[in-house]
Amino acid sequence: MPIAFPMKEHLGSIETEALAQIAAATHERALDDARVAVLGKKGSLTLAAAGIKDVPKEDKAAIGQLLNAARAAITAALEAKQAALREIADRAALAGIDATLPARGLPVGSLHPLTQIRDQAIGILRRMGFVLAEGPEIEDEFHCFDALNTPADHPARNEKDTFYFDSGKLLRTHTSSVQIRTMEAQAPPIRIIAPGSAYRRDEIDATHLSVFNQLEGLYVGRDVSLPDLKGTLEYFFRELFGTRTEVRFRPHFFPFTEPSFEIDVKLQIQGQAPRWIEVAGCGMVDPAVFDAINKSRKDQAFDPQTTTGFAFGMGLDRLAMIRWGIKDIRLLIENDVRFLKQFA
Amino acid sequence: MNISLNWLATHLDLAGKSIKEIDDLFTFAGVEVEGIVVEGITSEKIVVAQVMEAVQHPHADRLKVTHVDAGEGSLRQIVCGAQNYKVGDKVPCALPGTALPGGFTISETVMRKVESRGMLCSAAELGLPAGEDGLLILPADAKVGTPLKQMYESDVLLELEVTPNRPDLLSHRGMARELATLLKTPLKPLEIPSRSVGVAPTASIQIEAPAACPLYTAVRLSGVTVKDSPAWLKQRLEAIGQRPINNIVDVTNYVLHELGQPLHAFDAAKLTGGIVVRHAAEGEVFLALDESRHGLTPDDLLISDASGRALALGGVMGGADSGVTGETTEILLESAYFTPSNIRRTARRTALSSDSSYRFERGVDPAGVLAASALAVKLIVETAGGTAAATTLVAGAAPVLTRPVALDAAKLDQLMGGAIALAEAEAILTRLGLTKRSDATWEVPSFRADLQRHIDLVEEIARVHGLDNVPSRLQGCFVPASASDAAYDADMVLRRRLAALGLHECQTIKLIAAQQLADALLSRPLLEGDVIRVKLPLSEDHAVMRPSLVPGLIASAVRNVSQQVKSLRFFEMGRVFRNAGGGKAKDQESDALAILLAGPGAPFGWARSERNADLYDLKGLLSSLLGGREVRFAPKERPGFVLACDIKADAQVIGVFARLAPARERELDCTAPVYVAELDLTKVRKLLVGINHVADLPQFPGSSRDAAMELPLATANAQLENVIDKCAEPLLTAYECFDVFTDSTGARLPVDRKSVAYRFHYRAADRTLKSDEVDAAHQRVLGALGKDLGVKFR
Repeated sequence: MPIAFPMKEHLGSIETEALAQIAAATHERALDDARVAVLGKKGSLTLAAAGIKDVPKEDKAAIGQLLNAARAAITAALEAKQAALREIADRAALAGIDATLPARGLPVGSLHPLTQIRDQAIGILRRMGFVLAEGPEIEDEFHCFDALNTPADHPARNEKDTFYFDSGKLLRTHTSSVQIRTMEAQAPPIRIIAPGSAYRRDEIDATHLSVFNQLEGLYVGRDVSLPDLKGTLEYFFRELFGTRTEVRFRPHFFPFTEPSFEIDVKLQIQGQAPRWIEVAGCGMVDPAVFDAINKSRKDQAFDPQTTTGFAFGMGLDRLAMIRWGIKDIRLLIENDVRFLKQFA
Repeated sequence: MNISLNWLATHLDLAGKSIKEIDDLFTFAGVEVEGIVVEGITSEKIVVAQVMEAVQHPHADRLKVTHVDAGEGSLRQIVCGAQNYKVGDKVPCALPGTALPGGFTISETVMRKVESRGMLCSAAELGLPAGEDGLLILPADAKVGTPLKQMYESDVLLELEVTPNRPDLLSHRGMARELATLLKTPLKPLEIPSRSVGVAPTASIQIEAPAACPLYTAVRLSGVTVKDSPAWLKQRLEAIGQRPINNIVDVTNYVLHELGQPLHAFDAAKLTGGIVVRHAAEGEVFLALDESRHGLTPDDLLISDASGRALALGGVMGGADSGVTGETTEILLESAYFTPSNIRRTARRTALSSDSSYRFERGVDPAGVLAASALAVKLIVETAGGTAAATTLVAGAAPVLTRPVALDAAKLDQLMGGAIALAEAEAILTRLGLTKRSDATWEVPSFRADLQRHIDLVEEIARVHGLDNVPSRLQGCFVPASASDAAYDADMVLRRRLAALGLHECQTIKLIAAQQLADALLSRPLLEGDVIRVKLPLSEDHAVMRPSLVPGLIASAVRNVSQQVKSLRFFEMGRVFRNAGGGKAKDQESDALAILLAGPGAPFGWARSERNADLYDLKGLLSSLLGGREVRFAPKERPGFVLACDIKADAQVIGVFARLAPARERELDCTAPVYVAELDLTKVRKLLVGINHVADLPQFPGSSRDAAMELPLATANAQLENVIDKCAEPLLTAYECFDVFTDSTGARLPVDRKSVAYRFHYRAADRTLKSDEVDAAHQRVLGALGKDLGVKFR
């Protein structure tokens, strides 16, 4: 069989052929074929290496060296070629990608503006130690009016202004009924807020809804005073509208608080001069309310001699309208996507 | 209520006060200023001008070119469209630079190629009470060039909202008294002559209803001449938006707005005998002077004559044929005190209201009844001539509505946070007309019947002192969180998840139309008597309480469909209302969450084919909402819907799912299927409670096996799952359906068969399973499926 000299030649031609095949490979598959053809189990170099046993003893070392050199050269070429081919392939894979094409969009949802303003208001008040309370929207006259010191012939207690049911119950005209519900169930100290719906028999137009949203607050304890009411509500509205917001308290009248005030904040609505805008009503709980609660509870937990408190209420729809410059309140119940998606 | 600033100034000195200051004064007195209208002429540049020449405009049929003398030495050319004047008339001329009340400024201009250097004005254009159409023709003796503001007094009309507890403010005198208190200035004295007073014989006045009318007074005036009121009186009434009628009626109106006491003048010649103040008979008909007819009840109060004929609905409105007319010469002038609650009930029942009833139902000053009468008598004699009877006849007595009230200094200090010294507080009460008695209680003036309790005095002190002068305190107590807090937090988590899943939160109105009830998706159907309907709805569109959120969401969807919105992804959370058991359990309120999906779920674009949402999208959405919890749908028919299912999670029914009936979808113009779900929020909140203990991660690898199964098309997937779950194979940790194949052509699979592919995952907690263990477990599961459902494995 062949001897050293032809072996040397043979190795040379294997290497030349292999390098040519590697160089000619245009994709990784062809490169793999080349690798198998040379370095595989039955590859040309593998077979040639098997032939070394026939090489004369004195040539073995030299041929062995040649063999190793050929394998190293071929392996290096394979690796270099693979890297080159991958780079080309990677480049090709990225070539068609246009990052400026529009997105594969996902649906975008939103929280209703009322939820957002309510959550903001609740967030502020909870930080101030108020807890949430609720009550029924289908109420009785006691909780909606009588206990809130509203006389039987008060204009609000009128079928033209309030929705009644045949049962004699009514749709609560304010969330203040939750004050009564809470005080019936708990003794002082009470520090609650009650967001919820209220109903008035108003024709629906740009500024009125027959069902609207309020946020009620009540703090009852010992030595609760006008300074507490003022400090609490000033702080609240400054947190809501900005720390420099001016807040003023105008004397007003509500049957269930005395003294009573309406709260204005000075705000600049886009495109208008800053002006005072009414945002809430408030006052010190009228002792007559405590009397009614004690009577209902059949105890003196709310002794008017020692118990004082303040209450406040605000319209959340109105706050949302002020906050975002919403001109028509009906937008808040129409759920037009063109409106809602602005709040995403 | 309207207040004229000029009129107000007859009662106290307001010199030097700006409108802004007056506005603030009222505002901080607790009187809301709803409007401020500056009336009359304030500009120097509106002057008297005489029309010297007026010729047809060459290019406009309806215009004339005038030359007027405005006292400038030369004539001024002005184009004018009015027709009511003649050459020589004196008219108002607004010179260039004048800002008119309408808000525009006069400038030199060219009208249809003719120069015009000013504007000749009508009364309305100057903000004066409107008269005839056209230019305001001034008196012939007006001097050319004189600013009109010297001829027409300007005024400020204040539109005020007085709270119901302050009837004492419903007059110019009352308002002035309040301002005087706040300004610490004296009130000008009232000039009211004193008259002699005598007890009325019952033949003259008989009060049969003393509770409703404790005090009735009358004065007879003879020989009066009914005619137009003098200019000053007309001007006063016009300034507050009242239309002058005749001198008698105008005087009663004037006194009402001056002092707050309503009066009524009867034509005495039309009376038979004296006045009888009585309750109406049941069903008695009253014809009011506005010619409306009213059926009365015995609770209503009538002023009648001795014959029983009704002359007036007491305190509310005069009758049709007892009032003053042009022929009247004899007058009976009524001034009385009517009980507020009674007037309020009558006004509400009859839907009649007047300036009189407005004041009586809030409460007039019982001690002011006679003074008002005396002032009116004086003014009637001054403006209508005639003579008044020497004595005012009085029946009944003025009720005493006030009582001494104690001021508790310690409680005042507590409530005010020490913001006011006692002496200062007492000074405020004194300025308000209260007087300290020897026993240290306070005597309340008769016009302040609202001050009955200690807290009423505190309110006055706080109001006058002003909350500006009270310090702010930032403190509060700690209280434990409530169940409502937990519910609110859970709801906000759900809301945020739903928004993140690409849904828009909606708010719909809680009163819906009865027809919308057909869209209600309920787990317990509505029986007869379960719908809650309001007694007097504003309209049929808002007549019943919503028992479900779905009708509102459908209405919102329809609204958006009409705006060509294709992708409808909505949710709403809120209360729903119903009776239960056919009206047995009344007024049940619960919280619900509803979801509506229709149309493509993702935005249209190059990178994705458009696909309408289907029920599996909604199911997946619910699963994501519940933190990846498995959500199962159990079919259960609901009328009006198709594909309806109960929604189950953690083995309990938490809500209802359905697709709108295709006919309903077409009716609503929805081109894509509409899927809705309504969930019981109370149950959903509980599913949000997190884990107590974390599970250990598996220590050993598991294996999976796939199975392709052929079974009848009608076999529900739930049946497969039930069998798998029932066999409770301990090594089976999870399984999923990864393919469903059907062939509607029947070529590869009969049309009534389907092929489903499942992957089953097996694992033991304590060891790596051997292949034959997995195979054995897999065969147990497949065996159960084959045995129970006749599944063929492929």
